[in-house]
Amino acid sequence: MATQSKQKWLTPHNYLSLKLWETMGTGLFNFLIFLLVFVYLFPMIFMVATSLMEGPQLTDRNAPAYPARHIRYEYQGRSYAVYNVPFSNGEVRHLALVEPGRTSSQFIDPQNPDGGFIAWDGNWRQLIGVYEFHVTLNNFTNLFSALRISQMLQNTLIMTVIAEVGVLLSSIIVAYGFSRFPLPGGDLLFYILIATILIPEKVTLIPTYFFFVRILHWEGTWLPILVPFFFGNAVYIFLLRQNFKSIPKDLDEAAMLDGAGPLRILFQVILPQSWPTVITVSLLHFFYMWNETRQAALYLSISRDLAPISFGVQSFQSLSPIQNQLQAGALILMSVPVIVLLISQRYFMRDMVVTGMEK
Amino acid sequence: MLTRKPLRIRYDKRFGLLLISPWVIGLLLFKLLPILASLGISFTNFQLLTPEQTRFTGLENYTRLIHDDAVGYVLFETIALGITTIPLQLVASIFLASLLSNPRLKSGNLMRTLFFLPSIIPGVAIFFMWIGFADPATGWLNKLILHPLGLTGFNNLFSDGAIAFLFSISSLWSVGPGMLIMLGALQGLPAEIQEAARVDGAGPLVRFFYITLPLISPAIFFAIVINMIAIFGGVILLDRGSIFSGSFSPYDGYVSFILFEKHDLGYAASLAWFFFIIVMIVVYALFSSARRWVYYPDRDA
Repeated sequence: MATQSKQKWLTPHNYLSLKLWETMGTGLFNFLIFLLVFVYLFPMIFMVATSLMEGPQLTDRNAPAYPARHIRYEYQGRSYAVYNVPFSNGEVRHLALVEPGRTSSQFIDPQNPDGGFIAWDGNWRQLIGVYEFHVTLNNFTNLFSALRISQMLQNTLIMTVIAEVGVLLSSIIVAYGFSRFPLPGGDLLFYILIATILIPEKVTLIPTYFFFVRILHWEGTWLPILVPFFFGNAVYIFLLRQNFKSIPKDLDEAAMLDGAGPLRILFQVILPQSWPTVITVSLLHFFYMWNETRQAALYLSISRDLAPISFGVQSFQSLSPIQNQLQAGALILMSVPVIVLLISQRYFMRDMVVTGMEK
Repeated sequence: MLTRKPLRIRYDKRFGLLLISPWVIGLLLFKLLPILASLGISFTNFQLLTPEQTRFTGLENYTRLIHDDAVGYVLFETIALGITTIPLQLVASIFLASLLSNPRLKSGNLMRTLFFLPSIIPGVAIFFMWIGFADPATGWLNKLILHPLGLTGFNNLFSDGAIAFLFSISSLWSVGPGMLIMLGALQGLPAEIQEAARVDGAGPLVRFFYITLPLISPAIFFAIVINMIAIFGGVILLDRGSIFSGSFSPYDGYVSFILFEKHDLGYAASLAWFFFIIVMIVVYALFSSARRWVYYPDRDA
């Protein structure tokens, strides 16, 4: 529609101008989308920038938004801050403040230190400093030494591997049962499976906690967090079952004629065709594990050595660190899932779209 | 194909049961038994610190709950949260999906990934990032956005307006799964219908509201269900709850308060069960309303 109305006053016989319009429209559209992404992810830029700042910059109201430091000038063995000093003739000079005063201050010109003191009338506190771009990695190195970040990363990694093995194995086997085998009660069990997704966590929390802590004495271990994954996850079972159902049974039959048992059919016929969904499910679970703090807060608050990274960084807030440390901690925490998403985006995004379509 | 004799492949019923048995055991151990135990606890005055004084109190917790002003308040807040964030997320996900499914878009996959990105960032990191960003002293929200626009900006990070702002941000920043559902639905749309309507003279807006929206209504329904579960506190894909309250919803936060601060397990259990019943009613209402507005292609055939 849009191009039709434009054609009327755009001399339709001129193909070139129409094409030019198309190109310009496409360019503008892409530019707007790019702008939207930029605005949408803007706080991430804040996070990266702040995590690279040094402490003094955060308390300085006149400091620029990018990581920077106040330029200082070394004069006769002492260091002085450099300011933008405006003069009555409209000139603004970069001068080092040697002797601050309420109504008049003494400066020295870093370009011409032998020129002696320059007097300036006015309150030096209203002067704006001269900054240069400067990044520091101290926030990260401090966190690694003070917070045992590497141990927490290692904890999360081990937990994720165990949970992945458990949840994938059990969910695949259960989904295979749901997709191929006649079960008592027909679809009733499957509806129960879907219904369990809707159960609020709090309803099961108290008895589950007592079961794990008072009966099994699993407090301070990973067991209460990891063991339930070995019994399958309803969402993953649902996703895998939908995928298995889309694989024709003819292939099962062919394999069965060759003498394959039901488990061999699963691992040699069905799974090789559904690995995109398996990868999607394992990525979903990876992101879940990297995000998990609630279970850790329940069961791991007494054993700091076993704390996963998300929970560790969360408790870091209670030390009320300054912003640059906080942002560095958050950046370390999010970097792993972000890198994993960017690497796997080709498969993950496509398969998630397909999964959405099936429903 | 047609001449081949249909081979009756035997899927053994008992083997099927064996296959799903891990889930059945998990269902009993981690869902059904705890839910029933929770119901049992809700009829007692079970306190964490004085478990020996536990006795059966009948419906006492439930009458207390009805008279508890805080319950009405957090319930109202939870519903208000759902009513504001679910449509916001829905509109944002449809808007983004229509933009990102435009064939003119260069490097569409990367753009989709970038919009999806916040959905996989751990909630703790998002929380730190946004409170830092909105921080009145050192954040960029005042410095680079509100003040240059001539607005007053935030003075207090914990004022009501700021919290509401952060809540809507948190829902916009988890738009990823909804966006992918809508992208999938838009990709599955038959082009002929759009083309036919265009030939008949329907404008882009008419086509969107009368053709596209009804055709993607199953995806909209699915997205509403997912978002609703997230607010109600079920565990779903990539869900991280409402990160700014440290818990899924205001109601959930209140249950946590009774549980972890007051150690009043009996009352907490009755609160959880009361909410469970409300969730079931809402889910039932949603699913029965679906018949009226969700379009299923096979129903017409």
